[in-house]
Amino acid sequence: MSKVRSVVNKLHERIDYFIEKCPNMTAAPYNYNYIFKYIIIGDMGVGKSCLLHQFTEKKFMANCPHTIGVEFGTRIIEVDDKKIKLQIWDTAGQERFRAVTRSYYRGAAGALMVYDITRRSTYNHLSSWLTDTRNLTNPSTVIFLIGNKSDLESTREVTYEEAKEFADENGLMFLEASAMTGQNVEEAFLETARKIYQNIQEGRLDLNASESGVQHRPSQPSRTSLSSEATGAKDQCSC
Amino acid sequence: MEDLLNEVVPQEDLERFEKKYHHELELDGEVTTDTKFEYAFCLVRSRYTNDIRKGIMILEELARTHPDGRRDYIYYLAFGNARIKEYTSGLKYCRAFLDIESNDQVRSLEEYIKKEIDKEVAKGMVVAGGAALVLGGILGLGIAMARNKQKREK
Repeated sequence: MSKVRSVVNKLHERIDYFIEKCPNMTAAPYNYNYIFKYIIIGDMGVGKSCLLHQFTEKKFMANCPHTIGVEFGTRIIEVDDKKIKLQIWDTAGQERFRAVTRSYYRGAAGALMVYDITRRSTYNHLSSWLTDTRNLTNPSTVIFLIGNKSDLESTREVTYEEAKEFADENGLMFLEASAMTGQNVEEAFLETARKIYQNIQEGRLDLNASESGVQHRPSQPSRTSLSSEATGAKDQCSC
Repeated sequence: MEDLLNEVVPQEDLERFEKKYHHELELDGEVTTDTKFEYAFCLVRSRYTNDIRKGIMILEELARTHPDGRRDYIYYLAFGNARIKEYTSGLKYCRAFLDIESNDQVRSLEEYIKKEIDKEVAKGMVVAGGAALVLGGILGLGIAMARNKQKREK
């Protein structure tokens, strides 16, 4: 009997090892409770990709070339002791991609709408970005306005107050941030997630709707279904 | 990178840009560069190989005739080829891009393709190894049987 127990214990150790080593596999138990889909939109050169890079890598990407089509990034965060995986689609700001990147709006739970505080034109175009967002997402989509490049105070063209007023009028959340220094970058991404989570808790967001942009995952792995999970983990593990 | 490559264009988008393409073709006898690109961008994200190949053909033509947007065309040529597992072509386009411009987006696609090529090579070796084993087994069996026969004849 004790022999059996020791074998079982060893098996558990192996499984724990695989779970730890391969956190993002589909066959293995999820190590997050929710997936939120985000999109980042705004004019060319406002720093969308740099914000994403600062958020996922905690680094500033100098000399960032124009994004081609769309880029993708993920990070797991925590809200209310719940692990949430953010899947972030970073769209190209160039006009030629405008029509085709609209398909990424669908099913977004959060939209980060970015302008550059040192270029008024990027602020002036916000209403058109907002129209697209409202038309292509659902009413519960959280829209967060980010005034990027807040470190460049000397060349500022849009005041905080003016943008804040625009945000309030349109029911948007708002922060000024800097992808370069990292100031408020975490806050913008996390606040959006908190708001989405709050919407779920208050029943404003229907988890079963295909376009809610949120997927719920079963929480912690259970030991009862041990055999199938363990083999699944083993098969797909490349580590 | 997998997430990007696995993403599939919504059918209605593909149809919309296809319609736009054919509409221009019928009305003016030619299609604008933008419309061609939009259609190709949808095609290379289709779930069907034939669509992706069609997208690749349009992009190849655009890359030849419109140097302005070449970086976009070359990236999506690499992308489309990677999606249909034409890794050699995909790699060729990545390198052509990186020769002109240093770019992390293209570099991660290049790394993905290289990894897939390595995987295929490894798979090929396993298959070859397995075949060798089987062949060895048959040969061994043959020899053993032949010996057995010799023994019996003696």
